[in-house]
Amino acid sequence: MENEKSISKRTYFVYFLMCLFAVSIIGKVGILQFVEGETYREKAQKSTMDYRDIEAVRGNIYAADGSLLATSIPRYEVRFDPVAESITEEIFYGLLDSLALSLNGLFPDKSAQQWKGELENARVDSARYHLIRRRINYTQLKQIKQFPLFRKGRFKGGFMVIQENHRDRPFDLLAARTIGYDRTNSQPVGLEGAYRKELSGVSGKRLMQRLSGNVWKPISDENEIEPEDGCDLVTTIDLNIQDVAEQALLDQLERHKAEHGCVVLMEVATGEVRAIANLKRQEEGSYYESYNYAIGESTEPGSTIKLASYLAAFEDDIIDLEDSVDAGNGKYQFYDKVMLDSKPGGHGKITVEQAFAYSSNIAVARIINENYGRNPQKFVDRWYSMGLNNVLGIEIAGEGKPFIKSANDSTWSGITLPWMSHGYELRQTPLQILTFYNAVANGGKMVKPQFVKEIRKDGHTVRAVETKVLNPSIASRESISKARKMLEAVVEYGTASNLRHADYRIAGKTGTAQIANKDYGYYHGEGLVRSYQASFCGYFPAENPKYSCIVVVNAPSNQVYYGNLVAGPIFKEIADKVYSTRVEIQPEMVASAPESRTPIPVSKNGYRRDLQDIFDFLSIPIEARSYDADWVATATGMEKVELKDANWEENLVPNVVGMDAMDAVYLLENQGLVVRLKGRGTIKNQSISAGRRVLWGEEIVLELS
Amino acid sequence: METLYKHIKGDKAIWLVVLFLAIASTLLVYSSIVTLAYRHHGGNTFFYLLRHGFFVFAGVGIIYLVHRMKYTYFSRLAQLALYASGPLLLITLLFGVTINGAARWLNIPIINQTFQTSDFAKLALMMFLARRISQKQPVINDWTKSTVQIILPIVMVCGLILPADLSTSALVFFSSLVLMFVGGVPKKHLLALIGIGIISLTLVYGVGKAFPGSFDRLDTWISRIENFGEGDSKGNYQIEQSKIAAATGGFTGKGPGNSTQRHFLPHPYSDFIFAIVLEEYGLIGGLGMLLLYLILFFRCVKIVNTCPKHFGALLVFGISFMLVLQAFINMGVAVDILPVTGQPLPLVSMGGTSIWFTCISMGIILSVSRSLELETENVKSGKNNVVT
Repeated sequence: MENEKSISKRTYFVYFLMCLFAVSIIGKVGILQFVEGETYREKAQKSTMDYRDIEAVRGNIYAADGSLLATSIPRYEVRFDPVAESITEEIFYGLLDSLALSLNGLFPDKSAQQWKGELENARVDSARYHLIRRRINYTQLKQIKQFPLFRKGRFKGGFMVIQENHRDRPFDLLAARTIGYDRTNSQPVGLEGAYRKELSGVSGKRLMQRLSGNVWKPISDENEIEPEDGCDLVTTIDLNIQDVAEQALLDQLERHKAEHGCVVLMEVATGEVRAIANLKRQEEGSYYESYNYAIGESTEPGSTIKLASYLAAFEDDIIDLEDSVDAGNGKYQFYDKVMLDSKPGGHGKITVEQAFAYSSNIAVARIINENYGRNPQKFVDRWYSMGLNNVLGIEIAGEGKPFIKSANDSTWSGITLPWMSHGYELRQTPLQILTFYNAVANGGKMVKPQFVKEIRKDGHTVRAVETKVLNPSIASRESISKARKMLEAVVEYGTASNLRHADYRIAGKTGTAQIANKDYGYYHGEGLVRSYQASFCGYFPAENPKYSCIVVVNAPSNQVYYGNLVAGPIFKEIADKVYSTRVEIQPEMVASAPESRTPIPVSKNGYRRDLQDIFDFLSIPIEARSYDADWVATATGMEKVELKDANWEENLVPNVVGMDAMDAVYLLENQGLVVRLKGRGTIKNQSISAGRRVLWGEEIVLELS
Repeated sequence: METLYKHIKGDKAIWLVVLFLAIASTLLVYSSIVTLAYRHHGGNTFFYLLRHGFFVFAGVGIIYLVHRMKYTYFSRLAQLALYASGPLLLITLLFGVTINGAARWLNIPIINQTFQTSDFAKLALMMFLARRISQKQPVINDWTKSTVQIILPIVMVCGLILPADLSTSALVFFSSLVLMFVGGVPKKHLLALIGIGIISLTLVYGVGKAFPGSFDRLDTWISRIENFGEGDSKGNYQIEQSKIAAATGGFTGKGPGNSTQRHFLPHPYSDFIFAIVLEEYGLIGGLGMLLLYLILFFRCVKIVNTCPKHFGALLVFGISFMLVLQAFINMGVAVDILPVTGQPLPLVSMGGTSIWFTCISMGIILSVSRSLELETENVKSGKNNVVT
């Protein structure tokens, strides 16, 4: 062949070029490894492995009865990558309509057309992290995972889920401010803040390797620090009382269009706070727990402090209950200032007990001023020794500081002592006043208000909170018993006689103070309406005090501003509720009123075989529609009992209304539900309606009556 | 073993290269499909291993069958194959299965297996060119009688591959050019052909720039080419991960199955399999793989230079050059001396039917080699006259 030689030459030439290509490849590998190697190896370290925080589960906050007050529940953020590798034009546009429709079904705030447009835009913009929805719950997540396209998952369907823990208060407003919150970027509040260390636990660390995108895989078990879950907090809050307190306060505040108010109910012996409610009027007129007034607001308390004045006088043996005191004509001049009693014309000559019961300002001012006038510090020291000038030291942040003026104070004047004696020129928080009254109810022993019973972990007590005695005896036994007699007189014939009750006796003291609050001065609203702080503080039952309670309502704008009329009814409503439900106070009577008008006893629904046996035994004729159902509903007629089949599908919640608790619990727990019973008798209501799909482990509440 | 050895004809070095590449392929694919397996088969890597193993095993069978054929048949087959590839490519372009916005795949209806028609077409073209160039040897210097006749099929095949697959089109075009060069087409004519190539590319680039979004792939190429050697982009993320693989592999590598970069590389089992070679087997492994292809090409060049017939020589050269060039392009992309393209590493990358087409190529090379052996044997035993 003519060009055989040149073919050979050309092939070797090409071969030579390929060798050069090969050398350049291997040369580049060498450069990557030895010249640029270090930078890439560092990058490799960073991008492939990292210590990742493992978030600890924050502890729950429980009410005293075990109801959940605050818990962390998972919330999900759902995002969508509309340009994920596997989503082709055909797939995307093929499924777009049905996906938009499904989204509209779950999130109807956007129409299917809007959803479609949004998803389309996301694809056009190549928004690879498009937000579908924040903070959806698990049930919604389960649904959304079944949507067209999304059901293909992360890689084929571009569906992304990010879990976050959201703090939830199942009872929303109830004791909201006392439960509080602990959020990033804001000052923690309430118990969440006070016990943040115990609740939050310790987050763990784990060496993880990135698989792809943001998917991390743990490397080994040895490297990790296990997260330590937070402890649970069992509070002293009683959910039922709290509910009543909150509602009673709300009703009264709304009626009087009050600015704000608070209620605290405390167990006398232990200082455990059973209910604490704070409500503030919002701009639009509704009320909300936005500040813990009971703990934080330190104001001039008014007449409720007279108890301390008399107690001091009893201690110094200046007066006795039967001593008479001249309250005069209702007007009394102290230096340049006139003191008034609320009763027109005055109380005249009355006993000390009556003076307290009628809440005469002049009487108490004269007793204190005339006996301590030469040595006012003696009086002040009495109050100091009772602990009125000390903070309680409760764990919740923001306790208002009490203020009892010393006689050496530069602002001390001739009228200071008489005015102090009936609640001005000093400051106390509602909780501090309550603590003082509680001490009187407790025989002189002052205990610290307590919000937390114990700290638990995995069902075991880590730390039980003991009752802390602040002052073993604020006054002698005799003085205390005189004080309690006076408090009973207030309700019996004094200013709070509207709180008299047939079944049990309340003891307490009304208070009505003109408000000297820096926010609105002595006048409130339009400038002409006087603003007042109405309060009632007391305990019950009077003979053997179990609970103490304070109610404070601020700046009621109506003319009704006396403590007994504004704060008293709230106190009574709460006391009634507590009294009627506490077995330790008064055993509850069992109501029994069968309304059956037929000769045949009314039967509950239940298990067919059991019911048949009973009816057979009692020789009651029965009429059954069929015999294949295990469970039946009964209809009691004049002559016979009719049995109707009551069957249901597997995995659907059965209808248990009309059954007794035993059958209902058997049925429901067999289906995987957790049953909670309320009341007794026949089931009247079930919290999950019949026929819904059973979610395993879900709680169902049955109301019986 | 004796009998098996008897049946295996052709260049033994090439057979060894095939054997080594098949083993390497199995190891590398098994290691690099972890992420893919997690995405589609719940972490069942065995599924992919079996599938790939089947393709490789069947592929070796194909080599065997093809190499037993008389290579002169391929001249006739080439003609048929080329005529078939035109419509096939057209159908693919219009109705093919789209993956990543590129319509490169066609579904074979009965066995439900997709295959890349360009794999078929490029082989057909090389075979056909070998035939045509050898036929035109007497008039090789004539533009109309020879060069135009050679150019026409090239333009057809490359033109039909181009819209969906720029890199394969370029690979085929360049391989054809080199084959023509070796086949003795005048250099002036080759320059003209290069001119045609450049003009058509510029045209396509212009269309892409003028009407962005009209062709998905067009935008991808433009950005890839424009971004090559520049700052950050999605393509450069892949490249960076590939470079990390090379750098962390070191001299001897991390060892089989120890790659971490397989989790970050988008196609560690095909386009970036050389990165896995460098990471798990190091510089040594990379060099070894490079040498395997160089040995393959060297043995093929030897065959070319001993083959008495133009067709056989050009057939072996065209096929082997295209195959080795493709391998080097794959490696060049992995070490960032070429822009990102989707060329698999022949015989090594996972990819069903593409392996089979490579195997057919190997079979053809070995078939030529086998007949050469036969001829020398016949010469030795004096039976030369029987053949001619």
